[in-house]
Amino acid sequence: MIQLSKNYSLPERQEESIPIKVVGVGSAGSNALDRVLLDGMDKDDLIAVNTDVQSLASSVAARKVQLGRSSTHGLGTGGDPELGYQAAIESADEIRQAIADARMIFICAGLGGGTGSGAAPIVAQLAREAGSLVIAFATLPFSFEGKRRAAQAQDALSRLNDIANAVICFENDRMGDMVAPKAGIHQAFGVADMTISQSVRSIVNLIQRPGLIRIGFDDLFAALRSQNGRCLFGFGESDTDNRAHDALTQALKNPLMDKGRMLSESAHVLVQVAGGPGMTLSEVEILMRELGRHVRDHTQIVFGTAVDGKMGNRLSVTIISSLASEDSIATQAARPAPEPFLAPPPAILEQVEEPPPNIDTVPEPEVVVPAQPGPSDLISFAQPATAEALPPAPAPSIKKPAPRLIPPKKKAVVEKEPKPPKEKCVQAKQEVMQFEPVTRGRFEKSEPTIVEGQDLDIPTFLRKKVRVK
Amino acid sequence: MASGDLIVGLEIGTSKVCVVVGETRPDGTLKILGVGQAPSRGVRKGEIVDFETAMKCVHEAVVDAEQKSDVMIRSVYVAVAGGHIQSFNNRGCVMLPEERDEIDEQDVEDVKINAREVSIPAQNAFLHSIIQHYHVDGQDGVLNPVGMLGEKLEADFHIIHGVRTRVQNTIRCVKELPLEVEDVVFSALAAAQVVLTQHQKNLGALVVDIGGGTTDYILYVDGAVKQSGALAVGGDHITNDISMGLRIPMARAEKLKTEEGSCVLGNCLPGETILLKDDSGFAGKEIERETLNTIIHLRLREIFELLKRTVEEEPFINYVGAGIFITGGCSLVNGIDYLAGEIFEMPAHVTHAQTMSGLTSAVENPQFSTAIGLLKYAQAVQVDRPRRGITRIFGRFFSGMR
Repeated sequence: MIQLSKNYSLPERQEESIPIKVVGVGSAGSNALDRVLLDGMDKDDLIAVNTDVQSLASSVAARKVQLGRSSTHGLGTGGDPELGYQAAIESADEIRQAIADARMIFICAGLGGGTGSGAAPIVAQLAREAGSLVIAFATLPFSFEGKRRAAQAQDALSRLNDIANAVICFENDRMGDMVAPKAGIHQAFGVADMTISQSVRSIVNLIQRPGLIRIGFDDLFAALRSQNGRCLFGFGESDTDNRAHDALTQALKNPLMDKGRMLSESAHVLVQVAGGPGMTLSEVEILMRELGRHVRDHTQIVFGTAVDGKMGNRLSVTIISSLASEDSIATQAARPAPEPFLAPPPAILEQVEEPPPNIDTVPEPEVVVPAQPGPSDLISFAQPATAEALPPAPAPSIKKPAPRLIPPKKKAVVEKEPKPPKEKCVQAKQEVMQFEPVTRGRFEKSEPTIVEGQDLDIPTFLRKKVRVK
Repeated sequence: MASGDLIVGLEIGTSKVCVVVGETRPDGTLKILGVGQAPSRGVRKGEIVDFETAMKCVHEAVVDAEQKSDVMIRSVYVAVAGGHIQSFNNRGCVMLPEERDEIDEQDVEDVKINAREVSIPAQNAFLHSIIQHYHVDGQDGVLNPVGMLGEKLEADFHIIHGVRTRVQNTIRCVKELPLEVEDVVFSALAAAQVVLTQHQKNLGALVVDIGGGTTDYILYVDGAVKQSGALAVGGDHITNDISMGLRIPMARAEKLKTEEGSCVLGNCLPGETILLKDDSGFAGKEIERETLNTIIHLRLREIFELLKRTVEEEPFINYVGAGIFITGGCSLVNGIDYLAGEIFEMPAHVTHAQTMSGLTSAVENPQFSTAIGLLKYAQAVQVDRPRRGITRIFGRFFSGMR
């Protein structure tokens, strides 16, 4: 059971770090895992899931799960999502074991092929059933890979969207923009892996780093709330003189960010600034002010900052946001009615204040719903204990003939309106970050000139603290 | 009326727009026919922030220049500045085919193109590529390799580039007047053409053009450009500092800076004050002179120290023999040469355009160095190659300028 209480966000409760697992599904997924490991994740947290034994053998992950021992016999799926799906169903128990003790699961998958498209949604579903939070990182194929793959990828993406708590979707075509035209194709794919790895790492850091102003799950989900919409994600890191500016520029340059243009259309923007002990308040301020130019006035900026000794003199910026796609409401309405024979998974991320929507369909005696949540509660995820929750779900899902079927009720969870206490909480956080007003006089509205970490528009005597008069 | 070829230089500065009209004489001299100027609005830190307003100011200045020089201005050379301008040195290399060992002009063209094969950020455009030296088979310091024998021809270029859209903003502002833009020139490069003599370029010199919104610099060693760049800090910052430090309006601060300010400390009597008169002539606020000087000093010291750290990233500053040449409107601040000399530990001079005839009174003001420098630049490139019109602006690249 995940209980994010107020205590959870206090730094002194650091030792209780959230167990996480990164699952790479398919060969694209395990490529991403390689990268994640290179970027400094713990090997034990990585799980490779694949039908292809060869690819599995070369994976760096500590835990490996072979899918469909009898259906694919250790070969790949040949690009058939149906086969990937069958294989995943066959190995459901193994997957369940592998992910059992994690509370937060990141799924990396390249959609479009067989294993990624077919198995990733199943892994996501199993993880949700086991009571974990699921964030999926999905790459869509390059357009030159053909329409068929694109269609398969879209199909899988919409299923992932329904199942996972959040889906961060990378379009490989956009990754291509990051790479010089002359660069080899392996480099283009490498960039995609790198971006995924950065995102995984930054979200893990976001949640786990000792934050001065902490960002919790609630903030993360608020930023990623609009499902089916495009996820905007940017990460930048810099250790130059002008690191605040550089890191932000880099973050906005992220292919998912579209140079910050998209930011102006989103309603929630989550920003985390992390740096070593040398990070200064004015750097953060410069950065936030610069970012402020890319968002509209009424956009809610959820701000978090963290100091991490490991960062050295680097400074990193993570921006997460999402755009509601205009047709998302329409598609949701048009989606098929809940499949009657697929039991809605009991392990649903619940926000306490909401009456559990499916409490009558699945008896959940062990769900603890506090009658009156404390006003300071960040958010409580009331969920059935893992052990009890498992039995009902897997059996029906194995019987299911087609992989297209999705438990639609889950949507309700993530699309909920932000609760008043949550809003209050977020606003309180923003109030903490009150800077002393720094004046730039007539340069107030112009682009700041930041050299060697100093805003040169601020009078020199103020910066050098020379008393005049 | 002008008899020779008309050349017009236009500088859209942060504090003023300045148009200088000159004519080239058949004997190669340059005569200034008139100078037009207008206070600049809508420009911050050397870059246009309010298009309409800036355009009006440019128009005013052009009309002023047309009246004073009695000519019609059709095309101009435009100076660009701004913190986005960057530079680096690059070397191009060409191997001669085996059956030939005499270097011809085509090889020189090839090596120029080769030197250009460098990546600059995608949003940037090349502004200048200035030849430093050629090397033939490892022999250094060749000035003109055509006709020499060799197998390998190399060329060092100094490449200046800036953000394309920002440069284009300036061009568009002029084009909408409508005036033709002959060329865009980095302002420090233009200023150096008239501030330095060839001899000083050979000795090695650092030109610092401190304008209203930007501080541009260019460093010559052995007659070739080695380093250049811009810092988006200038005289406006001093004025802003004064205004905020003494809590007086900007206009008053500007006046105080130009009339009373100095950047040398410890030169005034203890407790010496300046009486600020309000518009009606009545005594207003009293300001301690040392306070004013401290504010100016700190800002200028910071600019110079920043500049010093920037140029010291490469070794060339050690080969500067002639010293530092400060120009631009802000160089009029009292004692600035003293301060620069102290920080850079080499002789520093406040200079203005040197070798011109005509309206010498205009010439002798450091504020006009860049605009006059544009004429000299234009004259040099026109000798180098015939005028071909606007298509060159971004296609144009290599020039024989030094």
